[in-house]
Amino acid sequence: MKDHKRATTGGNGKISRREFVGSAAAAAMAFTIVPRHVLGGPGYTPPSEKLNIAGIGVGGQGNHDLSQVDSENNIVALCDVDEVRGAEMFNRHPKARKYHDFRKMLEKEKNIEAVVIATPDHTHAVATIMALKMGKHVYCEKPLTHTIYEVRMVAKAAREAKVATQMGNQHQAIEGPRLLCEWIWDGAIGPVREVHVWTYRPAGMWPQGVERPKDIPPVPSTLDWDLWLGPAPYRPYHPDYVPFKWRGWYDFGTGTLGDMGSHNLAPIFQALKLKYPTSVEATSTEMYPETYPLASIVHYDFPARGDMPPVKVTWYDSGLMPPKPEELEDARLLPWEDGIVFVGDKGKLVAEGWGAQSVRLIPETKMKEYKKPPKTLPRSIGHYKEWVEACKDGRPTGSNFESASLVTEACLLGNIAIRTGKKRPWGQALTREKLNWDGPNMKFTNVPEANVYIHSQYRQGWTL
Amino acid sequence: MESQGRTNKNKKVSRRDFMGGAAAAAMAFTIVPRHVLGGPGHTPPSEKLNIAGVGVGGMGGSDLQSLASENIVALCDVHDSYAAKTFKTYPKAKVYKDYRKMLDKQKDIEAVVVATPDHTHACIAMAAIKAGKHVYVEKPLAYSVYEVRKLTEAARQAKVATQMGNQGHASEDIRHICEWIADGAIGPVREVHAWTTHAVWPQGIERPKETPPIPEGLDWDTWVGPAPYRPYHPAYHPGLWRGWWDFGTGALGDMGCHVLDAPYWALRLGYPTSVEASGSIYVSTITWNKPVNTETYPRASIVRYEFGARGNMPPVKLTWYDGGLTPPRPAELEEDRKMGNMFGGVIFIGDKGKIMCGGHGGAGARIIPESKMKQYNRPPKTIPRSPGHHTEWVNACKSGQPAGSNFDYAGPLTEVVLLGNVALRMMHKKLRYDGPNMKFTNMPEADVYIHRQYRQGWTL
Repeated sequence: MKDHKRATTGGNGKISRREFVGSAAAAAMAFTIVPRHVLGGPGYTPPSEKLNIAGIGVGGQGNHDLSQVDSENNIVALCDVDEVRGAEMFNRHPKARKYHDFRKMLEKEKNIEAVVIATPDHTHAVATIMALKMGKHVYCEKPLTHTIYEVRMVAKAAREAKVATQMGNQHQAIEGPRLLCEWIWDGAIGPVREVHVWTYRPAGMWPQGVERPKDIPPVPSTLDWDLWLGPAPYRPYHPDYVPFKWRGWYDFGTGTLGDMGSHNLAPIFQALKLKYPTSVEATSTEMYPETYPLASIVHYDFPARGDMPPVKVTWYDSGLMPPKPEELEDARLLPWEDGIVFVGDKGKLVAEGWGAQSVRLIPETKMKEYKKPPKTLPRSIGHYKEWVEACKDGRPTGSNFESASLVTEACLLGNIAIRTGKKRPWGQALTREKLNWDGPNMKFTNVPEANVYIHSQYRQGWTL
Repeated sequence: MESQGRTNKNKKVSRRDFMGGAAAAAMAFTIVPRHVLGGPGHTPPSEKLNIAGVGVGGMGGSDLQSLASENIVALCDVHDSYAAKTFKTYPKAKVYKDYRKMLDKQKDIEAVVVATPDHTHACIAMAAIKAGKHVYVEKPLAYSVYEVRKLTEAARQAKVATQMGNQGHASEDIRHICEWIADGAIGPVREVHAWTTHAVWPQGIERPKETPPIPEGLDWDTWVGPAPYRPYHPAYHPGLWRGWWDFGTGALGDMGCHVLDAPYWALRLGYPTSVEASGSIYVSTITWNKPVNTETYPRASIVRYEFGARGNMPPVKLTWYDGGLTPPRPAELEEDRKMGNMFGGVIFIGDKGKIMCGGHGGAGARIIPESKMKQYNRPPKTIPRSPGHHTEWVNACKSGQPAGSNFDYAGPLTEVVLLGNVALRMMHKKLRYDGPNMKFTNMPEADVYIHRQYRQGWTL
């Protein structure tokens, strides 16, 4: 009876959720939220019991993620290729078994129920898919994967595994994106045909627009460099990649879009019920052979969805920003770090902070006059808690892999548009085409050479 | 003589038509032949002009080549070895290190070519104008909006012949754009996108810390001129000063006078009503809430201008991109066609069509798509064609007939360009500009960037 009641709650959740994440994602989610015991999938941990969690990549953000779940659950295994970066977590959980290779860990530690993956981008997919295929619940840092092919495979594997999934765009769980959706769906600014979204990163965070280092320092004895490389092509170790600076390198990271697009595009996808764009076009600063350019602008075209008209979404990074809207008072500025401007037929809305933390109609007089609609969307119990509870009872998470894969794909499409530029013979200037994207068939229709970036060849010994 | 006067007058009318209010009104004066007004004497066309060059190592040497059929009587450069090649080319010319001494001593100079780094254009050009010399000044006309305004006024008062070094202004293509737009080929223009791909000097970097010795033969103090003093470093000179706030005017200053020339002329833009900018951040550690690098211009920037209605032309928004950034490809541009040319480009968006050209004097102007260009019935060529940019100036010095990019035209054009740099200083803020009064109406704190304090010993 208890279980039955829980299933009903899940059912109620489903309906309002469905509204929230847009059609395709919701359709898929309809499956994932059916309680596990009904479908005969991997067993769920009763709510009263602690979840057996393993961490893969436990320094940096992995440390942060595990710290959100470790006090109320069992950390049974920890995996990191870097003993120095992993040390803090290793020490905090002396009983957890330590591994360098997640493959060995997953094979040996049969009691693992759920994994938290926070490795560099290029190893997300191999770890995630292995875990999903073994029926583990997965929390994976954003972006979900390094390539579009991988993200499609991850979404498929998650759908098949019917486990609880969550991508690490934490602010999906806060109030801002919910207000954003409620107001836009309320018609607060009319149909939205144009969106501008930006981040100041990578400035001061990690290098982009740099050359491959020429020196070959020895690999630290505490780092398993071969495992760190994982499926990426082999290259000698250098501190320019690890720790953390891998973000700017094509072979390992997904640049600024992968990092902050996952946060800042997600609320746009939710509010506007976006799926695949029909085209993507980029412009950027000087191109380098192996790293993302310092600054870029990416234009996306999305087709009409239901009663929502086609919309153009433009991404800016590294300090580049859209024009200040006429409606924004002289004394106010667009937030220079992270933000979104929604341009509707009947008004404009500004979201401030990564992941749309605070939302205002502009000008402020219009905000004051606005009769806010009832808060119909379910509020979150917390981003990490959502996932932990979902592991226990199958309830939905806000950034499950179905919806997160669409956001990730958009980020990765932008990167392909950036990389597909051709150098002109006389200098640094690039010529780029607008790439037409056939989402259902996962290919670019007008610039075949762009299709090579949809997936990357894995190093021998690695498969999805 | 009388008939020549009449010819000038006729030309005036067509020019006037063409150039929009303030500039044309001012020009009405400058084109009256010099001898009538009793200004500085003009050299009869049969005689050669005595020209001095200031800053002759780089672009200056190239300008002098274009003027070599005249007498090159004096050469001035603060760096002997950098200018040596040019010194050798003109063995009869007297050589100077300080332009002030040159203007003081050598009285046969009639005209001066200024091609120093941006931060010294104004002081040198102003000294020449005040001494009654005709001036040719490399683009951008000056380093600050205030300097540009003062130079423009001074040249008008001195009634000397002037020309800025935006050579593309003399091109056939830029005239096409003006004639086609005036003809209504693309209808009223409400939106313009302009960009340069040309930035071959470092921007987005920090000030060097080491202080190497000053190379022999370089008068570093005079090179620094009115800018705040700093120790010599090869990161500034030769040729790399453009990216430094203290000396250059960035990619916009370098290329803006070329790229924006076509829209400025064809759309009679005048002063903008607002300007706003954002630029890429490239600092090793971020200074929170202060994304502006005050040492060098950003690697990439976007500047957005708004211009009010002009005559029967509607308000227009102009967006500038540099550092590799370009506007989105127009849907009308065929898939295999390049955007602009090697210097950048301009896209004019009219109610009835689009024109695209390259980044230098409207190069390769075409209505897009090409099918529309082919169908277009071109209007008569009403704008006088140029004998060449440098020749225009030589002719102006001799006859009083103004050159195409004389300061009454080039001054306001350069102001537009330099206002973009003010906006970059005030990153992300929209500055409303009162052109005639040269100040920002909503952000007086931006007014400090209209001019700068000169180093002691330097005045305009």
